[in-house]
Amino acid sequence: MNPLIFTTILMTVLLGTMIVMMSSHWLMIWIGFEMNLLAIIPILMKKYNPRTMEASTKYFLTQATASMLLMMAIIINLMHSGQWTITKVFNPTASIIMTSALAMKLGLTPFHFWVPEVTQGISLTSGLILLTWQKLAPMSILYQISPSINLNILLTMAVLSILVGGWGGLNQTQLRKIMAYSSIAHMGWMTAVLVYSPTLTMLNMLIYIMMTLTMFMLFIHSSSTTTLSLSHTWNKTPLTTTLILITLLSMGGLPPLSGFMPKWMIIQELTKNSSIILPTLMAIMALLNLYFYMRLTYSTSLTMFPSTNNMKMKWQFETKRITLLPPLIVMSSLLLPLTPMLSILD
Amino acid sequence: MLKIIIPTIMLMPLTWLSKKNMIWINTTTYSLLISLISLSLLNQPSNNSLNFSLMFFSDPLSAPLLVLTTWLLPLMLMASQHHLSKEPLIRKKLYITMLTMLQTFLIMTFTATELISFYILFEATLVPTLIIITRWGNQTERLNAGLYFLFYTLMGSLPLLVALISIQNLTGSLNFLLIQYWNQALPDSWSNIFLWLACMMAFMVKMPLYGLHLWLPKAHVEAPIAGSMVLAAILLKLGGYGMLRITTMLNPQTSFMAYPFLMLSLWGMIMTSSICLRQTDLKSLIAYSSVSHMALVIVAVLIQTPWSYMGATALMIAHGLTSSMLFCLANSNYERTHSRTMILARGLQTLLPLMAAWWLLASLTNLALPPSINLIGELFVVMSSFSWSNITIILMGANITITALYSLYMLITTQRGKYTHHINSIKPSFTRENALMALHMTPLLLLSLNPKIILGFTYC
Repeated sequence: MNPLIFTTILMTVLLGTMIVMMSSHWLMIWIGFEMNLLAIIPILMKKYNPRTMEASTKYFLTQATASMLLMMAIIINLMHSGQWTITKVFNPTASIIMTSALAMKLGLTPFHFWVPEVTQGISLTSGLILLTWQKLAPMSILYQISPSINLNILLTMAVLSILVGGWGGLNQTQLRKIMAYSSIAHMGWMTAVLVYSPTLTMLNMLIYIMMTLTMFMLFIHSSSTTTLSLSHTWNKTPLTTTLILITLLSMGGLPPLSGFMPKWMIIQELTKNSSIILPTLMAIMALLNLYFYMRLTYSTSLTMFPSTNNMKMKWQFETKRITLLPPLIVMSSLLLPLTPMLSILD
Repeated sequence: MLKIIIPTIMLMPLTWLSKKNMIWINTTTYSLLISLISLSLLNQPSNNSLNFSLMFFSDPLSAPLLVLTTWLLPLMLMASQHHLSKEPLIRKKLYITMLTMLQTFLIMTFTATELISFYILFEATLVPTLIIITRWGNQTERLNAGLYFLFYTLMGSLPLLVALISIQNLTGSLNFLLIQYWNQALPDSWSNIFLWLACMMAFMVKMPLYGLHLWLPKAHVEAPIAGSMVLAAILLKLGGYGMLRITTMLNPQTSFMAYPFLMLSLWGMIMTSSICLRQTDLKSLIAYSSVSHMALVIVAVLIQTPWSYMGATALMIAHGLTSSMLFCLANSNYERTHSRTMILARGLQTLLPLMAAWWLLASLTNLALPPSINLIGELFVVMSSFSWSNITIILMGANITITALYSLYMLITTQRGKYTHHINSIKPSFTRENALMALHMTPLLLLSLNPKIILGFTYC
């Protein structure tokens, strides 16, 4: 794509999200979502083949439906409250519709079906933008309306997402689908604690974005999209196998890595609010996620020469440049001792 | 406590900056020095614990375990030299880094005051152990073994996290030094029963309890020698240590909640001892013997009398040294024949008489011969379980008999009798191996002269 046009489109995506995050007028928020959606379609279709067309179409249809539902919720809110300012949504109907619309945008169960298929059909870099940047705008709206969300619906969606994210990823070998199911599960964790402490949602979002960025950077570096092709990294750059191991263990939520911090804080917040079965269930279901991350590490870093792997070596293309990998790695694995700093967020 | 932790962390730059011919010498020497520092902790002047700071403390229960942990690192390094000799230098350094990381987490776990910090470090020990087992183990079964190890332990310990946070909610602080003074009875309710279960299951899986022990034979057998040593000697004791700490907070539910686990342990120790008699794999035999000894510790901890606590602590230290020594001996066989089958390396006494002496001492301490500390531990446990319920003496007596049976079976199969015809090409014992066995045996024998340092905090 012409670099000037590509920059313009990328800036429009950024602008759309910024408008959503910074507006106080409901209509502007809707406009921001639409700008974001329309501008990201050419980015998803950077390579012009039927698979990306299919993925972009699915993405467009689901997100457009969600935007329409959002508009309906805004109008109902306008009818009942008489103003366009974004505050807590007082009318329960509007609140439920808005929550469903935002869940559809995020990819929470039962609206998760588009995430694996869209992520699989696009290139790794577009998948990266899809799974990290696109989550920021809906999450910021959920943050702002969090006092008024119906707890039952949100918690049901969260727990189902964690289940689906865990079980769905078990049968996958394609890396992008694995990251998609991981995204569904993490969104579940984030929305579970939204009503109790939105700050922890933001913490989880931050650490999730760092870990997903790291994982995608490592995948882009070795140009691998399947588990088998990932098992060749020890041939090309053996150090990245260790980095993949550390980041995957961190995503699985193992102490002492930083992926444990959001899970621990969320469990703590939920337990302080006297729900005990819920965090236990969530924590045990996160083990399903850990299982397929471990499977990835087994084929990548923990079984090496002299055991052979089944994959033919690919042609050596030029090494893609990875932006910011060392700071990302450090942040996604070593942040746990900084947990007491979270007290400044109160 | 930083005087032990910081040098251990600094062992990692030491390995990465060492030259190729100095790497083993440097790490072994400095880890031995660190273990000498930790010996000073055994001097516990008052009845209360030694408080170093808000975060670290040491009391008569954790000090012997700490000394055992630091003593074991040089031994692990000595034992790993042979099987790593053909690996490239970077992989040797990675292996030593994993061992050192594991050591750091273990030291911090045994001295943690805050129970959540204990939990995080308890889980953190899983990661280096998993990497050691799956990356450097020898057979394809090690992948399955690593998964079993990780997931059994995690399934047990995630409810522990929730339980610890809810206890913190109730009591305001999880600092262990405070809790031992504040202790109140838990009210009787269904949710407190689940709290009891959530607190104990993590340690039951780690010990392991008989029904949940499936990960242990896999992990012990597939791990390389240092992995087996640290698993048998220390990681199982983490479960015992955790149980000893947390049962102080869990009364009075323990009086009735402990029954199923007591039954499982009493039955399990007989079952696992009996299975040892039918094993063909030497490491598997030692692994099942570990389950059997740890079942005794579980019985002791759940009975909760002063004598049983003394027996549990003594048994943990004694079993740590004995089991680690048995794994070293099994490894010396493995390095020569590249097989764990017992009968492939039999009749070794004629060829390696000094090693046969170590085999004899190890088997004798395994079957708890007087006056070793193994006997003291087992005897205290048997006595306290007899006072708890007279009938257990039958099971305990049967267990002691069967333990003697399989220990002698192992000794006679590997050492006595006519040697095999293919055995004439094995290398003689290295000085390193003899030093390893001596370093295991000497503390064990010396402790029988002064066992009060390992009898824990109920000795008075």
